[in-house]
Amino acid sequence: MATRIEVLASPEDGRGKTLEKALKSKGKTAAVRVVDVYTSEHEKANTPAFKDSLVNPVTQESDSLPDDFDWALEIGFLPGVTDNVGHTASELLKLAGAENDNECFSSRLYLIKGNLKQSDIEELSQSLSNTLIQRATIKSADEFNADGGMETIIPKVTINTAGNTAADTIELDGLSDEELMEISQKGIKERGPLGLPLVYMKAIQSHYAGKTITDIELETLAQTWSEHCKHTIFASPIDDVKDGLYKHYIKRATKEIREIRGENDICVSVFSDNAGGIIFDDEYLITDKVETHNSPSALDPFGGAITGIVGVNRDCIGFGQGAKPVINRYGFCLADPRTSPEYYRDSAKTNAVLSPETIMKGVIDGVEAGGNQSGIPTPQGFVTFDDRFVGKPLVFVGTIGLIPRTINGKPGHEKCARPGDKIVVAGGRVGRDGIHGATFSSVALDEGSPATAVQIGDPITQKKMSDAIIKEIRDLSLYSAITDNGAGGMSSSIGEMAEGSGGFHVELETVPLKYPGMTPWEIWISESQERMTMAVPPKNTDELIALFAKRGVEATVVGTFTDDGRAKITHADEIIMDMAMDFLHDGNPETPLKTTFTRGGEAEPDLAEPDDYARVLLDMLGRLNICSKEFISTQYDHNVQGTAVMGPLQGPGRVYAEASITRPVLTSEKGVVLSQGLFPRYSDIDTAAMAAAGLDLAVRNAVAAGVDLGQLALLDNFCWCSSDEPERLGQLKRAVETIYEMAVKYQTPFISGKDSMFNDFKGFDKDGKSVKISAPPTLLISSIGVIPNIDKSISLAPKAVGDLVYLLGQTKDELGASEYYDMQGHLGNNVPETDSHANLHLYKLYGRAVRDSLIASAYALGFGGLGTALAKKAIAGQMGMDIDLSAINLRADKALYSESTGRILVTVAPQDKEKFEKCFKNLEALQHIGHITHTDKLNIKNQLQLDVKKLDEAYKAPLRDY
Amino acid sequence: MTAKALILAGYGLNCEEETLHAFEYAGLSGEIRHINDLIENPKELDEVQIVAIPGGFSYGDDTGSGNAFAQKMKLALWGPLQKFVARDTLTIGICNGCQVVANLGLVPAFDAKYGQRLVAVTHNLTARYQCRWIDLKVSSNSPWLEGVENMHIPVAHGEGRFMMNEDTLKSLQSNGQIAAQYAKPDGNLADGEFPYNPNGTTNDIAGITDESGKVLALMPHPERGMFNWQRDDYMEMKDKAQREGKELPEAADGISIFQNAARYFEVAKKKSA
Repeated sequence: MATRIEVLASPEDGRGKTLEKALKSKGKTAAVRVVDVYTSEHEKANTPAFKDSLVNPVTQESDSLPDDFDWALEIGFLPGVTDNVGHTASELLKLAGAENDNECFSSRLYLIKGNLKQSDIEELSQSLSNTLIQRATIKSADEFNADGGMETIIPKVTINTAGNTAADTIELDGLSDEELMEISQKGIKERGPLGLPLVYMKAIQSHYAGKTITDIELETLAQTWSEHCKHTIFASPIDDVKDGLYKHYIKRATKEIREIRGENDICVSVFSDNAGGIIFDDEYLITDKVETHNSPSALDPFGGAITGIVGVNRDCIGFGQGAKPVINRYGFCLADPRTSPEYYRDSAKTNAVLSPETIMKGVIDGVEAGGNQSGIPTPQGFVTFDDRFVGKPLVFVGTIGLIPRTINGKPGHEKCARPGDKIVVAGGRVGRDGIHGATFSSVALDEGSPATAVQIGDPITQKKMSDAIIKEIRDLSLYSAITDNGAGGMSSSIGEMAEGSGGFHVELETVPLKYPGMTPWEIWISESQERMTMAVPPKNTDELIALFAKRGVEATVVGTFTDDGRAKITHADEIIMDMAMDFLHDGNPETPLKTTFTRGGEAEPDLAEPDDYARVLLDMLGRLNICSKEFISTQYDHNVQGTAVMGPLQGPGRVYAEASITRPVLTSEKGVVLSQGLFPRYSDIDTAAMAAAGLDLAVRNAVAAGVDLGQLALLDNFCWCSSDEPERLGQLKRAVETIYEMAVKYQTPFISGKDSMFNDFKGFDKDGKSVKISAPPTLLISSIGVIPNIDKSISLAPKAVGDLVYLLGQTKDELGASEYYDMQGHLGNNVPETDSHANLHLYKLYGRAVRDSLIASAYALGFGGLGTALAKKAIAGQMGMDIDLSAINLRADKALYSESTGRILVTVAPQDKEKFEKCFKNLEALQHIGHITHTDKLNIKNQLQLDVKKLDEAYKAPLRDY
Repeated sequence: MTAKALILAGYGLNCEEETLHAFEYAGLSGEIRHINDLIENPKELDEVQIVAIPGGFSYGDDTGSGNAFAQKMKLALWGPLQKFVARDTLTIGICNGCQVVANLGLVPAFDAKYGQRLVAVTHNLTARYQCRWIDLKVSSNSPWLEGVENMHIPVAHGEGRFMMNEDTLKSLQSNGQIAAQYAKPDGNLADGEFPYNPNGTTNDIAGITDESGKVLALMPHPERGMFNWQRDDYMEMKDKAQREGKELPEAADGISIFQNAARYFEVAKKKSA
């Protein structure tokens, strides 16, 4: 007998009030009561002890719903979707005497009173739920009363396998190219795409000539050889670059820098682990990794983003012997949330693309839930807007870790699975979540069932596991290696770790499952979250498993690492996979790539000089790439762990900053500086300019905040589009060549990177016409650096009236693809070209000024150039400024809005003037352009005079109400 | 022997390390204890003088913030806990710990009747997580808050709104159990105005105590505002000090709570000596 428990919240409940407000903003008046619903089939669910544990008697009551409502709307999860509230209720059920996990399910009921139509409730339901993962039920009061309330739904997964959970075998011998591609595209027995190109299918066919291949073998190869896992585009020979872009440019840049730096090399672990690691101090390393989670976020923005952030947390936990997550990063590339473009995935227009507003809110909420619940501060991030991110948003998530350089006498960053070590998997159980996550395409998503297509992270299950590892087990040295389970699940994590030992044998029947009926291949490639895989010497397994159990974490031996060169899986004593490790990891044939390149851009527009400079500045400040994103910063916990030093909102005027500083070790005075740079629109003219500007800004933001160039490292995230087209590959190659040159010039090594090569939306517009929308080729460069003492940190807000304002660096006629041109509907041609030689000179001088504490505030110019930088400084300090542009030899609008790179706007105390100017005496582009005033006005001579209050409003208004 | 604090951890609590740092900085000894280990060995409560339930997200705030963790404690530790608060000890719940302490009924515990839930700490009126610096007006005889009148420290919570019935509110007021209220920077009470009152809490309440004042339930985070370098205006303070040729002191408002705990047991020790 199923039990349904309804817990009615107070009429004053904040969730209900917020919904009422949202309805009101759409012109509808209603009163909303919120009811938390729990359902379970367990007999203990019907006991007072369990019910009482769910109800706070001060503000809630159970089993007595009000009868004065007009509509009832209930939203719950579909079977198999992660239900975190249900998990906690299940824990309470265990306290009440239940013996098993996950016996409880949650849903939420809204009782709505007001003059609303069925269509209004349907609209509300759509804004509160996602049909991919949730069910929604609407009843009028009459229906509700006639039915005696809402149904009691138990969303259990039942898999009808007719008792058949064995592996299938497939004959590839004699299949034509077309037949091979059919298997690749539709999957074995149409289970979902393998995504293998023909050359790979043929390589498998010839390797298995005269033999049958099992479904799990073919699925394993599809996972291991996927673009997602193998990064084939970066690894393949391209034009005359035989060793591929990654080795030839990115890895080589780091190698050359490390050789030149010699004793001053800050790198410790690069490219070989789940994250990159550099020296923090004598005791610790810091690690950094930035991931993308774009495709899942397009479908379920909340689920995609939360899975992304807790997933990259695991990359940190899986670095070396295990690093402690100490800071999170985020970054979103989105379409304008104030617009409602209409696109569909199918020609019948039944499967609509989510609105930009829904995607924006969802991805912000996802990182909020994942980061906040994990107790990791999230001070650092950005949001960049371009309407071409409509079909595929870019969602970047990153985690910085801290790990002792030595753990029990061994280097903390080293690990290696040894033959004979047991394979232990700890954390959540395995379900059908995220099957084919590494290979999925938009086609698969229409066909796939909800439970398998999308995942939702469970931060608390992960937190328990993470604490057990990082705060207790790691320091006992019970395991020889650890890694996370991400894309490809165990097939990836075990497959990769086994490269250390030389083989593995997994006994698949030992893997704990969420529900019965899963077939072997599903278990093996499932991407169920919150799992880590460890290599554990046999003598340690009992102790390790017992320690996890004490912390409420399940850990299980699932096999053994071997050295026989075989990747072997058995299921109930039957061998279902037995493959050479060499073939698994290196059997994919080379696929040489060819490129072409054509520079984009239009003629430079012939714009008239604006007649109202004040208006232009206010409009520029209100542009989405420039305006405040404070509403994100205040919902992300940015000071948990007690380590926040600077950012994300700076100065009394709370300007959304580009760099943050954290003190990860409370007993050390050192600080970690984080920033980033990206200019997607510059790709419309030249990806070299796009890449150079992004790298330069990532470096310059960090330098401006006080980092010495010698203490700075970089991460690269390429989010490209249509990477099977020679022209797109040509753009890619150009970007990669550029960042090689710049990184070597600045001597800032790359330590980690990731790529996502097909950010294209293929679908239909509102007329049913086929469309393809490609995200602009985007390179995000993230920077991480160490400052010796946090008292050397520099914020962007000016500090005192009378301080002098200097612009460092040359302003050129470079407005191609700028915010200013874009505002007027032009692309132009003069995209900013980065002069890394001149910049390096400036950054080195700046480093000296920082050491001598000569800089009172600094802001690295980016979107919107000098004009918006001046305004942001005035807003941040809530101070006036007198500025004279005559030192810049350009028409005033170009001087104000050129986006030339390599520039820093600083303020300097008058008493430091002499020392400051002496420090920069060899810099040609040192321009004293004004001073801070007590007038509360930004005054630009001959051009404009604006109250700081007005600037403040223009800067904060656009996204304030989200 | 210095007094010892036990800082609880596990199931999603996450501020235990910085809270331990605060106690140690104030001169107390302390240890982090996973709740499962304390349940296994509840006698440890007889040997310590302070229990701190730190901030975090126990059980993901599911079924109500602090609820599930409180249910677990009540089932497995209620007897030893009652014994602990009956001794001359100090208890503090910060943020998620505050929600746990309220759900356990360790506050307001009128007439020293511990265990009854009379106060709910629930969803912010904005229904959104708020991480921001706030100002507190403090007026309390709690040993935790001796000599404290104002505090500039941060909040970081999605459920920080104190709710209760009229009778409870009146009793809290008349007994002086409202320990801290949100204020504007000028020192006047926030009077419900966002963002000074960040969550719409009744009467601007940010923290309450039991009648003895020895149990403090506080939503804002003193351990995140214990040093000047943690402050939102650190950059401005640092610059000013540099211009004036002064050294910026390290300690900020939040540390006084932990120093008061240390002082309380120092004084107690002297008295007994």
